[in-house]
Amino acid sequence: MKYKSQSVAKLYFIAAIALFVGQILFGLVMGLQYVVGDFLFPEIPFNVARMVHTNLLIVWLLFGFMGSAYYLVPEEAERELVAPWLAKLMFWIFLIAGAATVAGYLLVPYAKLAELTMDDLLPTMGREFLEQPTITKLGIVVVALSFLFSIGITILKGRKTVVTLVLLIGLTGLAVFFLFAFYNPENLVLDKYYWWWVVHLWVEGVWELILGAILAFILIKTTGVDREVIEKWLYVIIAMTLITGLIGTGHHYYWIGTPDFWQWWGSIFSAMEPIPFFMMTIFAFNMVNRRRRNHPNKAAVLWALGTAVMAFLGAGVWGFLHTLSPVNYYTHGTQITAAHGHMAFYGAYVMIVLAMVSYAMPMMRGRKAANSPRSQVVEMWSFWLMTVSMVFITLFLTGAGILQTYLQRYSDQPIDFMTVQDKISLFYWLREIAGVVFLIGLVLYVVSFFIGTDDPEAVEKIEVDAETA
Amino acid sequence: MPMTPQTAQGKAFIRPCTVIYLLLMALTLVTWALGKFNAQIGLPAMTLSMTVLGIAMLKGHLIGDFFMGLRRVRGPWRWVVTLWLLLPASLITLAFMQAGQ
Amino acid sequence: MTDKLKQPPGDLAIWIFICAELSVFAVFFAAYAFTRAKHVELFNQYQQTLNTNYALINTLALITSSYFVVRAVAAIREGSQRGCARWLLAAIAMGALFLVVKSMEYQHHFSHGVTLSTNTFYMFYISLTFFHFMHVIMGMVILAAVALKARRGAYTADRHTGVETGASYWHMVDLVWIILFPLVYVMR
Repeated sequence: MKYKSQSVAKLYFIAAIALFVGQILFGLVMGLQYVVGDFLFPEIPFNVARMVHTNLLIVWLLFGFMGSAYYLVPEEAERELVAPWLAKLMFWIFLIAGAATVAGYLLVPYAKLAELTMDDLLPTMGREFLEQPTITKLGIVVVALSFLFSIGITILKGRKTVVTLVLLIGLTGLAVFFLFAFYNPENLVLDKYYWWWVVHLWVEGVWELILGAILAFILIKTTGVDREVIEKWLYVIIAMTLITGLIGTGHHYYWIGTPDFWQWWGSIFSAMEPIPFFMMTIFAFNMVNRRRRNHPNKAAVLWALGTAVMAFLGAGVWGFLHTLSPVNYYTHGTQITAAHGHMAFYGAYVMIVLAMVSYAMPMMRGRKAANSPRSQVVEMWSFWLMTVSMVFITLFLTGAGILQTYLQRYSDQPIDFMTVQDKISLFYWLREIAGVVFLIGLVLYVVSFFIGTDDPEAVEKIEVDAETA
Repeated sequence: MPMTPQTAQGKAFIRPCTVIYLLLMALTLVTWALGKFNAQIGLPAMTLSMTVLGIAMLKGHLIGDFFMGLRRVRGPWRWVVTLWLLLPASLITLAFMQAGQ
Repeated sequence: MTDKLKQPPGDLAIWIFICAELSVFAVFFAAYAFTRAKHVELFNQYQQTLNTNYALINTLALITSSYFVVRAVAAIREGSQRGCARWLLAAIAMGALFLVVKSMEYQHHFSHGVTLSTNTFYMFYISLTFFHFMHVIMGMVILAAVALKARRGAYTADRHTGVETGASYWHMVDLVWIILFPLVYVMR
């Protein structure tokens, strides 16, 4: 760690991982509720479990992104962070607001929560993923602006690199598009139209820039490949991401009452969205193959390569599966969507945050570059457990989705929703088992932070086994 | 014509790229004229379409070879533009044959 | 001159980008053609409302600008930084001419109340040409950046990958229009 102020990232990373554990626990509850409908009812109804599962995901990823930015920006800008106290203050505000919101979801009925938080003054609640009370949303804006302030000023005052530039564009976009969470038109078509400006333009637009920037940073640090080469790739990838991702929003506009041309715009542009992800995969492996050093933190390199592969599969391939409008006509809102959502979020965003945590945490805990070999072995086990179980979750949900699409919408004698749900329950059981394995992997991940802390640090080996890692 | 030394190349005689440029301009005029005056020329629609598509392929190939400099490249990149031209052109041909029936 | 290069001129990354862009356009062209096959009469009827004279001027403008870019690359290979910048500016001017003519064409159609939702032909006509229009703007930005760097003396006869990179992108913009022009304006 070169700069003292980088250490604020530690707080953010710890909170991120704690919330990650919470997210997975609620995911398991929900997964069980798919097959045992009244599990934990009425304490935690399905809709609440789902809300907590998705909201926690978004919040912990935001913590992860912020932590990554606080760690990465001083090192890139070659100066201390502006106002690290602000970063700490915002951390606590964000954490407390987040915890209070989740507690609100769990303790009172949603309508009551809306009433308590005076949603009627500026109604923004009740929309998927944007369920947060209006005051929480305002809090998010304050946190985001303060965050942008300290990151932005640090970048502007220090050395400017392509990595920080792309990161800054991504983070600014994240803040700007969130503002559409406050726009809640009466017209249901317009409402959905702009709702996607938050949801889609986050995950298939500006978040990808953040992903690209963090990945580039980790590759620069761990491979020793020339910055110029990596930055050039980053340019090409983000240009392609923006072209395909921005207009690709159209693949959400097929069935909500927008003009016909979106069928074409959405299909064609979103069909190209896998391209930047594919470039990212080629990019990551290329850089690691051309490496000039064997970084001792093999776990971090593994996560970085993992994210490049899994993002392509989850976001690229599984997204393409149901993105063309004639296909989506049948698959819209089935378990195919859930399959895609799981692998895409895990591959693109969970893994990149974990890669950054893996890279930065040892240094913030006083190591020179990496954890002890023992700790890394446990971490790599957790990588494989989580990744493989996520592949299975995705496959089971895909199976469920294909069957559901056929039985419910495509066959000559379509069957009603609930009957179909019964027929595909085997897939839900299998998914739940894979989910338990994922939790074991996650527990192992947490354990890896406490294992071998007194062992000597892993050292850089001369050209043998980084590839086999 | 006397041989010109390498150093004076481009000054003594017209550059290859200029020849290609003039050819491209002429081919463009042909395409435009075929579209504009086909009422008088009277080519069947399919013949007209395939002719201008063929001209476009030729133009694209020339741009790839001479303007993008691919003729001095070896390996798969040598053919990237030509192969790309074949892809939409064959699909377009297929679609027009379908429409003609 | 006989030893051939392993990679096309310019940065390899731009070529991967070019391939990606070209495949998007290929899909768009095929979509146009196959949709047309289902609505031949509609497409033939509304194609008549397009002005091929504008399209001719635009095609000539783009080919000329591409030629200027070729000359810009030739100039920097001969070590002339000023010459390179001047040819690039000429190419950008041709790009600007394209934008002006295209805008006049749009103006004509829009003033007649044509929108993306008027019919399938206009939907494709506007989408395809507008998507290409944005590429012309992007290409001009790239050329302008290269021209500025060239004038500041950033390139030499031996090191000028940046010029070739920008040139390759610009030729791609030209290449796409070469197909778009007959497909949308002439073929019937």
